[in-house]
Amino acid sequence: MSTGAGSHSVLTGASVIQAVEYNVTRAMNAVTVSRQGHSVERAPEVRAAKRSPMAISGAQPTAGLPGLSALIVAIAERGDRAAFATLFNHFAPRVKSYMLRLGADGQLAEELAQETMLTVWRRADGFDPARAAASTWIFTIARNLRIDAARRGQRMKHDDPFDETIAPDLPDAILSAAQDETRVASAIGQLPLDQARVIREAFFSDKPHSEIAAELGLPLGTVKSRLRLAMARLRGLLGEAA
Amino acid sequence: MTPRRHPISDRLIEYAAGSLNPERRLVVGAHVRVCPACAGEIAIVEAVGGVLIDALPAVEMHEDALALALARIERPAPPRREPAPGIQGWIDAPAAAVESARRRRRWAAPGVWVAPVIGGPYGRRSYLLGIGPGISVPRHTHLGSELVCVLKGAFEDRGEIYGPGDFCESDEDVEHRPRVTHGGDCVCLVAVDASLVARDWLGRIFQPLVRI
Repeated sequence: MSTGAGSHSVLTGASVIQAVEYNVTRAMNAVTVSRQGHSVERAPEVRAAKRSPMAISGAQPTAGLPGLSALIVAIAERGDRAAFATLFNHFAPRVKSYMLRLGADGQLAEELAQETMLTVWRRADGFDPARAAASTWIFTIARNLRIDAARRGQRMKHDDPFDETIAPDLPDAILSAAQDETRVASAIGQLPLDQARVIREAFFSDKPHSEIAAELGLPLGTVKSRLRLAMARLRGLLGEAA
Repeated sequence: MTPRRHPISDRLIEYAAGSLNPERRLVVGAHVRVCPACAGEIAIVEAVGGVLIDALPAVEMHEDALALALARIERPAPPRREPAPGIQGWIDAPAAAVESARRRRRWAAPGVWVAPVIGGPYGRRSYLLGIGPGISVPRHTHLGSELVCVLKGAFEDRGEIYGPGDFCESDEDVEHRPRVTHGGDCVCLVAVDASLVARDWLGRIFQPLVRI
């Protein structure tokens, strides 16, 4: 993979706030979609624009499955192509964005986004809405396919990139926290800016922590300890509410 | 049996974010699949990843992208590979490790076998190391770090016992001489950044033979 110049720009404080606010808005939208049903296919940006920022505050109950999860379940249960199209329109452009950030060129990013969505279709029966949010599940597919693509050049005999997803049973408190996008998004929103920043970098920079540290102009130890603090804080926030 | 020794949280974050190299990923993953506590940590980090990817600005796909995707889903899916049966006496191990043990194992010294999993005989790689009861690995240190997950049996290192599923990371500041306990043989999945640096005469003889 080539690294696009400028694709790892250092985030300003303001853009982190925007990103975090956007996260929360997005998560709320996911809830909204489920209430509206998903027969209407609308660009997420349009929905985002229609949401009032006031909707961010206050814990809205997530009765039933959040909409995007229900779409995956519809694929698993009845091969619902309209549900797939809605998921594709929402996630493919974001998965492509993720791949580009991690240094894929346009063509590879497009292919990996396609591959991710094809995997969503084929493995929909393995999605458990009680275990993970739709976005989490799709993130792990995209991540695994990216790792798999990166090592295709190696001599290693190919093994199943999803072999690792056989995970042990998780504690209920963690399951209920982690599958709830709204809660996770609001927990991220409560992180101090410097912690939110290192978290983003950990996901969207294909670089060792030492290089991230150099880019942020911080000592390596500081980046590591911020990352640990951020995770401990998220764990606390999600655990408390359980 | 639940593992008692775990990776530091940095490794779990890197695992969940997808930034570990494949060699390390394999070893951390071997621990995680038998460790509910670490799997829980990872589930939280992955949920953060989900929220972040969902919040990324959409990048335009090719104009025919959806049509292509809808055509692709109509094609028959390739048959899913049945997971190979595990190995008697091991923890539930990654398929790549099981396959290596079955096909690539070779005796390296009396009581010691190795099987490469990722990479060749030198440099960054992961491999399986099987050692008989009571045998010590000669004193050594590392260039870069060494990640180990115990798949079977137990070894003792610096006063601690590492049993099935346990995870152990040693960096270049550590000079050690792990010894397999007397209960039975021990199989470890190991990832290293570079070859070991032998610290005694035995190691200097042992190392070229075993190439670990």
